[in-house]
Amino acid sequence: MIPFGQYVRGLAGDDDLVRLDGPFEVPVDVLAAEALRASGPALRFQRPTGIDLVSGVFSGPDQTQHREARPWSRLSLGLGRDPNATLVDLLETIGDLGPAGENPEPTYTGQAASGTDTDVQDLQFPQGETETWPAVTLGVASVSPADGTHWAPVHGSVVGGETLRVRVPDALSSLVADGTTMAIALGVPPAAMTTAYLLAVTEQTATPIQSCGVTGTVPLVPTNGGLVPSATEIVMETTVVDRQPDFRSDRREGWEHVVASGPLSLSVESVRTTDSPVIPISPVGCPLADDIQLTGLATAATLYHRLNNYWGISPVEWVMLPAEAELGICFVASDILYGGFEWQLANILFSFSSLFDTVVIVDKDVPPQDFGRVLADVWLKSHPARDWTFSEPDAPAATRPHYRRDNETGSRLYVNAAWDPRWKETYIAPRVTFENSFPSSVRDVARVLWDEPGTAPGETSENESPR
Amino acid sequence: MSVNSLREYLDLLDTAGWLRTFDRPVSWDLEASAATMLANIRDGPIPVFASIAGIETESKLVGDPYRGPQTRPWDHFAQALGLQDGLSGRTYYDRVIDRLNAPKSPRTVASHRAPCKETVRTGNEVDLLSFPWPYIHEGDGGRYSNHHTIVAPDPDTEWGTWSSHRMMIHDDSRASLLLLAGEQVPNRYYYDYEPRGEPMPVAVVIGSEPTVESTADMWIPTGRSEAAFAGGLKDAPVDLVQCETNDLYVPATAELVLEGHVRPNDRLDEGPFGDYFGYMNGPRRSMPVFEVDAITHRHQPRIPFCVEGSGVGYGQNSTSTLRLVAAGPDATVGLRAAGFDVAMAVPWQFTSRTVWVIATDRPYPGYLHELANFIFTTWGMLHIDFFVFVDAAVDPLDPRAVLTAIALEADPDADFHQFGVERMPKVPLNIYQTPDEKGSADVGTSKAKTAKAYIDATTDGDATDTAATTETRKRAQERLVEAGLDAARFARLDEREEKSQ
Repeated sequence: MIPFGQYVRGLAGDDDLVRLDGPFEVPVDVLAAEALRASGPALRFQRPTGIDLVSGVFSGPDQTQHREARPWSRLSLGLGRDPNATLVDLLETIGDLGPAGENPEPTYTGQAASGTDTDVQDLQFPQGETETWPAVTLGVASVSPADGTHWAPVHGSVVGGETLRVRVPDALSSLVADGTTMAIALGVPPAAMTTAYLLAVTEQTATPIQSCGVTGTVPLVPTNGGLVPSATEIVMETTVVDRQPDFRSDRREGWEHVVASGPLSLSVESVRTTDSPVIPISPVGCPLADDIQLTGLATAATLYHRLNNYWGISPVEWVMLPAEAELGICFVASDILYGGFEWQLANILFSFSSLFDTVVIVDKDVPPQDFGRVLADVWLKSHPARDWTFSEPDAPAATRPHYRRDNETGSRLYVNAAWDPRWKETYIAPRVTFENSFPSSVRDVARVLWDEPGTAPGETSENESPR
Repeated sequence: MSVNSLREYLDLLDTAGWLRTFDRPVSWDLEASAATMLANIRDGPIPVFASIAGIETESKLVGDPYRGPQTRPWDHFAQALGLQDGLSGRTYYDRVIDRLNAPKSPRTVASHRAPCKETVRTGNEVDLLSFPWPYIHEGDGGRYSNHHTIVAPDPDTEWGTWSSHRMMIHDDSRASLLLLAGEQVPNRYYYDYEPRGEPMPVAVVIGSEPTVESTADMWIPTGRSEAAFAGGLKDAPVDLVQCETNDLYVPATAELVLEGHVRPNDRLDEGPFGDYFGYMNGPRRSMPVFEVDAITHRHQPRIPFCVEGSGVGYGQNSTSTLRLVAAGPDATVGLRAAGFDVAMAVPWQFTSRTVWVIATDRPYPGYLHELANFIFTTWGMLHIDFFVFVDAAVDPLDPRAVLTAIALEADPDADFHQFGVERMPKVPLNIYQTPDEKGSADVGTSKAKTAKAYIDATTDGDATDTAATTETRKRAQERLVEAGLDAARFARLDEREEKSQ
């Protein structure tokens, strides 16, 4: 388990985080959004109060701009994996955080956030250019009814000196009543943040975390609201004062596109912080925002696990809901077992998730970090008529796209950009690649040419990022 | 000021640190191509192979000279046009569109003033195999010239018509040309010269100046001259010189010119070849025969070639870059001239000859259908299978923005439109048809027809815009650049957005 503060220092150590010193004449959410659009590093906003903000820690480079981009590499680091870990490695790691077959033995340690001389206003949450209230994002809500502690992602606004209005999954709202205590944890270990998202997108918020794999990896500490990770940067102890406040927010965190959510009004009873707390923020509603990345990865982990346990074998290489497509398209690489398998695959995905109406299937040898190849094969390998298959127009609209918000039914689409398993081997066109198009002796000559001093076209191998 | 020749362009690249000349011998047999592909993959310098192993020649090979930097593919060509450094992609398009709207007629020069006539060989002196034509991919049907401009007669223009068709070398005087019916030069051959039993005079111009090279993929309306559009792009007339053995005119500063004729009722093998799809495609087909009558060239001619297939996915090569930097602005001009109010037409950078993105308003119901129908029956007919329409405010040079538009705005129920299902012609270079479906139709198209499609990824109502104001975003970008982020990553707030505020 990696505490959030240590994770942030690790990003800085990897030169994947840039420090900005206040004051900030430009709203920090705009700075965060522009850094993401530019595939920039994570940002740390240093403030005189000693309470810093960080953005982009759960996001990554734009895959449409970078060869071999791994937008999941930061989260891999945060979950204790190598930043160069494969997507599948990360998806499996995420899956292990969720509901487990056996209840893992939790570890309890002291609360890192022990300072008590702070109130909500001191935290100085960022306020967007057009926002009325400062915004709280990337939080984890914790409540403890009789069956255990439940976690869920939470976001909202600071609407008064001691009042928060937040949105949480309906499944969490149903566990509380007026007067219930709820802990809001900010700057939790990435494993805990990911777990909250995983439970939300799989509609398992009602599962206590004592039954989840995360309990075996993240040390916990009890609060009035419920268990929270002991290495949490900021813990706000709150009381639910209104379960149906008049609170609307145009901006939704990514998980809200997956599950129903509702507002709560919370009274903040106390704020505990570490000595130098760091608060994660996401520029909600902007491209490549952290909450979108987290939702995409948590959903992909779930789909990957379910697909590969569905047919008794594991034909699926990877599943991706790229933030670049705002979770509105599901890409899957799979062995096409037999003619028609692609139809089964697409429709199982539609059954398992309501986020998207479009599925793109690519061959199993397409690596997920080579998204540029995916964005070529979609058009090259699919016949414009035969391989773009539309369902009958009586399917409900997916939750993520903007069209058909009036509950009208319509078609779904899957694009088959994989070779037809019924084709003869000789029909399959070989790819033009450095490895395929030149014998090894010629490849060696080419490498030697460029490896002479002063000639190198970039500093990396042909499969790595260019300069 | 624009450059006047390939050599001047290479000098520009050299000055900018984007050229690398190899003096040690490198073979035309895959080695030059492999080294070029490595540079293409790594976004490295443009390679010049000054010494060719295994052949006595003064020629130099140049691998994918027009490939631009991966994140800003237009940069090198903007330099060639004399445009200011650091233009955003959309501003670059605007500048080029302005130039294309002001064509300039070419001027002719006398032979003795034409660099391409420094050496002239005719008759028995024609020796095609004395040049180091590259063998580009293992599995290709032969050695190829694939980075050239073909000049053919056109009764409607004084200067002929220009296009590009790959050419497989067979012997000292013959090559096979991939002529696919549906395009102007092939149509001229298949439906005019060949039925009359006449040879069609042709010149293959290799290593011409950048603006000439870029016209090969342009859509030039019937009756208009590519030479004039090349002059417009250059902002100065292109110099042309008459051929030695026919009436055609060719660019005078070219490195090498093959004069000859395409013989009627004669075919030679052509292909397979790893072409622009990024996959080897075949099968070997029978294609018209180009017979060389004369060769003229500059001293130490630079022979450019393209490692086709390396310009898909993240990769760029000469042809994918030229489509983005020249064919895109040209198509924008053409569509506007046809009455369509498009903001930009841009090839999809991951497979630039299969999909195009068009940013446009929708002034009336049915507009996108009319636009798609117009394109599919003109320049988009054979190669392009898909068009994606996005709002005029979406930057088609930003693939993330386009992908987001497809994901969020294109309703599978109403916004995906298949055109002429299994009724439309298709080049046999595609990889989604079986060899049986491709067949061996005499005029080069597939035996089986295919479909085309367009996707309406425009918003149905007011676009949801959660972005901050342009001014705030610019201030944020400036702050981030001060903090050390790469300024080149912030090119998307440009003059167009400022005007729209």
